[in-house]
Amino acid sequence: MFQSRGGKDKSMNISNQIKGWFASLTIPFVLLVLWQVIVSLGYVPAIILPSPEKVFSTFMTNITQNDLLRHVAASLERVILGFIIGALGGFSLGLLMGLSRTAEKIFGPTFHVIRQVPVIGWIPLIVMMFQIAEIPQIIVISLAAFFPMTLNTLAGVRNVRKEYLELAAVNGFKGLKLIRRVIVPAALPSIVTGTTLSLGMSWAVMMAAEFFIDTSYGIGTRIQAGRSSFNMALVLVGIFTVGLIGYGLTITIEALGRAVNNGRDVHKEI
Amino acid sequence: MSKLKGVIEIRNLSKSFVVDNDPLQILKNINVTFSSGEFVSIIGSSGCGKTTLLRIMLGLESDYEGEALLDGEPIVGPGLNRGIVFQDHRLLPWLTVTENIAFGLDKLDRKEKKHVVSEHIKLVGLNGFEHAYPSQLSGGMAQRVAIARALANRPEILLLDEPLGALDALTRIHMQKELERIWQLEKITMIMVTHDVDEAIYLSDKVVIMSSRPGVINKIIDIPFSRPRDRASSEFIHIKAQILKEFHLGTEYPFAYAI
Repeated sequence: MFQSRGGKDKSMNISNQIKGWFASLTIPFVLLVLWQVIVSLGYVPAIILPSPEKVFSTFMTNITQNDLLRHVAASLERVILGFIIGALGGFSLGLLMGLSRTAEKIFGPTFHVIRQVPVIGWIPLIVMMFQIAEIPQIIVISLAAFFPMTLNTLAGVRNVRKEYLELAAVNGFKGLKLIRRVIVPAALPSIVTGTTLSLGMSWAVMMAAEFFIDTSYGIGTRIQAGRSSFNMALVLVGIFTVGLIGYGLTITIEALGRAVNNGRDVHKEI
Repeated sequence: MSKLKGVIEIRNLSKSFVVDNDPLQILKNINVTFSSGEFVSIIGSSGCGKTTLLRIMLGLESDYEGEALLDGEPIVGPGLNRGIVFQDHRLLPWLTVTENIAFGLDKLDRKEKKHVVSEHIKLVGLNGFEHAYPSQLSGGMAQRVAIARALANRPEILLLDEPLGALDALTRIHMQKELERIWQLEKITMIMVTHDVDEAIYLSDKVVIMSSRPGVINKIIDIPFSRPRDRASSEFIHIKAQILKEFHLGTEYPFAYAI
């Protein structure tokens, strides 16, 4: 009867997808060739820029002998924990300030002053206050997640069309029911954007946190170890790992966001 | 004693808004009664306060002088006894057709809800689109869903704020027939704000003509013809000329159809 959303011919989709992959692999391939050329011609000493082959073999030995996966797992755990805490906090504060002008007057100015300070600026203070390495790491990461989530939730709630609120009023919706059934679903696209940005920020700030706060495991810690032992291959392994996992996290959360925004799982209780 | 339901009485009603610190009178001394089961249209040029009057009946506007009574009681806030269809269909984009229609039906249990929704989907002729999202519907279909949603609560009164204003001419004529059919089936009071004189004459028992600055009622014209009405009949054309005269528009004007 009606077209399903985005319902195109399936075979078209697959061939487009393959074309898409080729397109997105072009730049990495060119960079790889360029890198190899620079190294082969000896423009840069190998100790500063190791060859792609050397980086790949370092990657393999790190997986098999040096617990690379355990480092990755430690970082991921921190990021996910910090992200969940920060994003939930940001969602709550954004919702509160979005719903109530009074709440915005109370929290708004302080919030906007604090968010001017780059998250890593808090590290020395937080480290002093919480001695155990894991806690300051998670606090710093959750701070990073907190700000974009607050701002986007606030914007989403503020921009709910007044027509929808009127419709809700006509149907006698008030309080929690109004928030749950109209305001949050209407603000959802903005909340999803906030979530995506929050996760990205958490992952990026994790690196900084691991540089500045000593821990035994973590992908940032690993890069730091490469730097202090002048092992640039290890540094590059760290950089690639962070980049690829960050990208994986982004496309996962974006896919989740698309699924939610499509309107299906938002509101199932009818 | 069971009284007739769905009666709205407006008595000596005036309303002003404050614009740039100056009060601007929107409605002045409005007196009109909408009887049970009647179809009444309110027509008038832009800014005559007809939408404000509708919003007062809906309970979205307060702070006026005079009285607005529903079945003898003053109107305080919105209530499920009054349904509304807005000019923009105002369907919630994250809900399917079924979920949109069920939006205000929280008091019913699951089974009743399902029954009421499917009944109303049938009423507006949208079988097969139960699980479509608003973005997948045409303008006319979306407006049907909006009508179904407004009727699902079994209101005594259905208020319609230029419900067909956003539709193309042919869909519009078709939807006018649909509205008439639904009104005859539901037997409730319907009050419609419109710009379209033909539409008002085609559907209404009574046409309220307003003029602007401040909004006053010029005239209330009864339309006693039998239904379904023929837009080409002489009585139709005669009454149209009479209404257009109220707006100082002769029928020779090409834009006479849409004021």
